[in-house]
Amino acid sequence: MTTTEYEPNDSKALARLTDLYRESAEPSTPAEIERGFHSMRARVDSVRARETGRVRWPMLVAATAMCALVALLVSSVVRRRLPAAELPTLAYQIDGGRVLDGGYLRESGHVGMNINFNEGSRVALTTGTRGRIREVDKHGARVAIEHGTATFEVTPGSGRRWLVEVGPFLVTVKGTVFTVSWDPLREQFDLRLQRGRVDVSGPASAGEIALRAGQRLTVNLVQAKTVITEDEPALANSDAGEGSVLKSANPTEVTPADADHETAGPNSQHPPAVATGAIAVGQRRWSDELARGQWDRILEDVKRTGVDATLSTASSDELLAVADAARYRRQPELARAALLTVRRRFPNSPRALDAIFLLGRLEESRAHGSAQAIARYDEYLTRAPNGPFTGEALGRKMTLTVALEGPARAQTVAEEYLRRFPKGSYAGSARALIRVQ
Amino acid sequence: MVGEQWALEETWRRFAPMVILLAKRTLGSHSEAEDIAQEVFCRLYRKAKNLEEPDSLRGFIYAIAVRSLKTELHRRKLRAWLFFAQPQALAGWGWRTMDMESRDLVRKFHVLLERLPTRERLVFVLRRMESMTVEEVAAAMGLSESTVKRSIAGASKRLSRWIEADPGLADVFDTARWGR
Repeated sequence: MTTTEYEPNDSKALARLTDLYRESAEPSTPAEIERGFHSMRARVDSVRARETGRVRWPMLVAATAMCALVALLVSSVVRRRLPAAELPTLAYQIDGGRVLDGGYLRESGHVGMNINFNEGSRVALTTGTRGRIREVDKHGARVAIEHGTATFEVTPGSGRRWLVEVGPFLVTVKGTVFTVSWDPLREQFDLRLQRGRVDVSGPASAGEIALRAGQRLTVNLVQAKTVITEDEPALANSDAGEGSVLKSANPTEVTPADADHETAGPNSQHPPAVATGAIAVGQRRWSDELARGQWDRILEDVKRTGVDATLSTASSDELLAVADAARYRRQPELARAALLTVRRRFPNSPRALDAIFLLGRLEESRAHGSAQAIARYDEYLTRAPNGPFTGEALGRKMTLTVALEGPARAQTVAEEYLRRFPKGSYAGSARALIRVQ
Repeated sequence: MVGEQWALEETWRRFAPMVILLAKRTLGSHSEAEDIAQEVFCRLYRKAKNLEEPDSLRGFIYAIAVRSLKTELHRRKLRAWLFFAQPQALAGWGWRTMDMESRDLVRKFHVLLERLPTRERLVFVLRRMESMTVEEVAAAMGLSESTVKRSIAGASKRLSRWIEADPGLADVFDTARWGR
């Protein structure tokens, strides 16, 4: 980590936090830069088109001066024409298929289809996906997915309206990258948002559901179940960062098993946390409040609702938000209760794994809690050998083992850590440990 | 036209990573940072003819980026005030190499940066995170050097005070893990 020159009156904590914040913002990948260039060029072309439109102005003004009596009429005509110059008509080209009557998309081979729009937006349909281009004009596009999976990369800021019909659902797009699928037999809708924002409306919600980057919405009409989950950070990043989503016409398939992340376990004493036909997460917005640092507001909500009532009705995302808020506000008992509840009520979800790791962190902060913490980390490592916290769990286990049983016993853990995470944040300690031995 | 395309492409490849990173550190959102970068280069395309010294391109781009970021931060505040709308905090930040504790600290620090007045926030990011000199910050922001110095001191004072008030931030670097 590089350090900057600091003002003499800076506190140590401010200096360190600034360094940490600066270093934590990862630079764009070459794929992101490449993708950005294409979008930017599309915007510049649009600017150029507007400027070409402006060149006609003096001529039109001259004409109106010569015809004073029809000046108002001419200017109204010009006003009508100007918007058309601002947005060139949207056009597209299809690879791997063609458009039949009624906009029906017909695949020509077995590798899916790519639809490339002239303003930079792209749509990739997986093999066997059926859809239609309903409407394409200067104001935007309307595409329908009748069956299968498609990935959309919509150029932001072009001022166009993009609508995607997915079975009975309507997705309003606001400059974004997302994968959407519809299974008419199971009546299941699935949307995974990698970047930007979308609004989804359909038979499962009273109004629109607003999704933000990293969220996934699954609606099963047969079971009347609506679930919003957060993608793992690494997954969300890799999806957004690789830039390969649309290079292939086969975006990541959403399997039915994936959609059941949040289902309560078979032995659960409580009903599933996610209300049928409603979005529990959206109602409380604790994840948003957490991101904004409004931890006290979350804890006040819990107090008002009652701890037991909250633990028995909140979704896994909400429970993790409560646990984080409680950790930040030094209320370890509430944090522990929330994490244990996630583990008990959602035993098969990725959130349960996060909870196990976080329980380890909590145990560590307790006096004489090291042995329990190691047990939690072991459980996490067994259940999530490639999880988002695997490196951290191994590193923490190594540190605790040194303190509890001595460096000799920690050597195996150190070796495993170095083998798997040679550049990880505990690599220095692991190497030092091995050298000493 | 071909030369213009080439120049645009070359300028993007050279400077876009810098602009995106600056915007990301200022706004705390990867997708918004990409939008800002596109806006900056569109403006650059329109204003490139005003650039008299090609050597000053970097500073010219920084100045456009800072103006765009300032506008965006003002817009955000207005949106928050009018519609109670909050931006996505640290969306697409890239947590791949960060441990749990560091993520928590970054989130908390971002919340404090959000509380800073727009000018102080931008000056703080440019000086402390982009490692620009006071003179460079002053040029990019169109301020006098003494105003930049006052803004940095003001931002540091506020941030230090807020950090002190949060035991989870003030004490964390005293622990063995962070003590270096």
